[in-house]
Amino acid sequence: MLKISQLVKRYGNGAPVLKGLDLEVPGESVVSIIGASGAGKSTLLRCINRLVEPSSGTIELNGLMLTDLKGAKLRAARRRIGMIFQGFNLVDRLTVMENVQSGRLGYLPLWRAAFRRYPKEDIRRAYELMERVGIAHYANKRADELSGGERQRVGVVRALMQEPEILLADEPTASLDPKTSEQIMELLRALSREFSLPVLINIHNVAEAKQYTDRIVGMRYGRIIFDAEPDALDKAAMDEIYAGVPAEERGEMDNVTPLRAQKA
Amino acid sequence: MSTTTSSVPDTWRKPPMIANPVLRYGLLIAVALYIGWAVFMLPIDWNRVAQGMTRAARIFNGAFPPSFERSGLLIDGFLESLKIAILATVGGVLLSIPIAFMAARNLAPRPIFLLGRGLIIVARSFHPVIVAIIFVKAVGFGPFAGVLTLIVYSIGFVAKMLAERIEEIDWGQVEAMRAVGAGYFPTLIYAVFPQIMPRQIGLSIYQLDSNLRASAVVGIVGAGGIGSTLANAFGRYDYDFALAITIVIVAVILVSEAISGQIRKRIW
Repeated sequence: MLKISQLVKRYGNGAPVLKGLDLEVPGESVVSIIGASGAGKSTLLRCINRLVEPSSGTIELNGLMLTDLKGAKLRAARRRIGMIFQGFNLVDRLTVMENVQSGRLGYLPLWRAAFRRYPKEDIRRAYELMERVGIAHYANKRADELSGGERQRVGVVRALMQEPEILLADEPTASLDPKTSEQIMELLRALSREFSLPVLINIHNVAEAKQYTDRIVGMRYGRIIFDAEPDALDKAAMDEIYAGVPAEERGEMDNVTPLRAQKA
Repeated sequence: MSTTTSSVPDTWRKPPMIANPVLRYGLLIAVALYIGWAVFMLPIDWNRVAQGMTRAARIFNGAFPPSFERSGLLIDGFLESLKIAILATVGGVLLSIPIAFMAARNLAPRPIFLLGRGLIIVARSFHPVIVAIIFVKAVGFGPFAGVLTLIVYSIGFVAKMLAERIEEIDWGQVEAMRAVGAGYFPTLIYAVFPQIMPRQIGLSIYQLDSNLRASAVVGIVGAGGIGSTLANAFGRYDYDFALAITIVIVAVILVSEAISGQIRKRIW
């Protein structure tokens, strides 16, 4: 259970990016966060694992207060939170296995990490997870030799290696082609069920959000203005969340007349 | 589509780099005046230039044909230069790595960053010959002074270039390591080292090459190696031997440059 209350984040002296935000994510559900660029989706996600320092408010994960941790305690807490990035953020020049094992860095003594002497159970777990997502045969390949979809699978396995209690995905499909992007969404949903994990996904593609997630949270200007099941996301709600954003950018082309046709 | 309007201009000139015309032409005139004045004020004694010509002719006459008679001395000098270059490269590169991390704005806290940059600036601000003169005074004539000099020289170059490379790393990889809860050193080992490794290897090889060249120069002021052999040959008016040494230095540098270039090309 992730519990966020009264979360505020401001950069410098500017207007706050997050304005007293409340959100609860109970176990084993896939929640998507939608909203125009600049709504604060990414900041929200990064506040949870403290890649971004919240200005005020509290974030609690399964009873552990994340917002007042420091140093070693903060690092230990981060092990419980898996993160998947838009740009994959793999170490390009290392092998897939090293990338996957880097998910264990919070647990390993320095010498094991430095000399790549990974414990047997970690190696077995890595092979099992890679098998699960279909990249086991790439273990010895360099990460930059893989295609986008394969790279994101490495990113997912790295996060799962942490044995996380929650997965955060920051636009995990935005750098992928539509087909691969659906495969990754499907994978995230399946993994959420298999590992009983809550998954929080920032996403621009509303069609995918509707299809693959259990709950949609709509953000606008640092506030949550919509929070319901995908079916409840109607035209009016969309217009409110994306006021001023053209419909094409929301990925819901089907119910929009193309511009050219309108003019003619 | 094919509508041409006459109000559109048909000439275009690139805007000048310095917009203000007074400043632009003023600067040109000032530079020309200064160069004219500086050349005019140079004390050139044409008599001495004429004498110098005959002296140069004498040296060249004495230098031909180059003499390889004392090749034992030549080889010893070179082996010593090589030793100096290798030791200085290893020592300099090892010291450069921590200094480079200190001097990288994105990784080091501000005071450490300033200290690291300061060390690099000091190492870079003196030419190796000046550093060599100081070390020869401090530890005496010989290769040890040469090694110390070239260590300083190596730090000035390798640490600076490496720090710049560290500042260019893809921060996403570092962020990913922070997100999994990795500490400082695991993050360096996994997210930073792999990114800077090719540059590090390239710099080390280049520096070895560069140290070999510099070791010939610093030897002239007494810091050991082939440079000392060359200085001695000149001092004893053995111009034929000096020419032989020079030829070999050029040959060795060409070969080492070719090898290091090949190696650097193959690291991707």
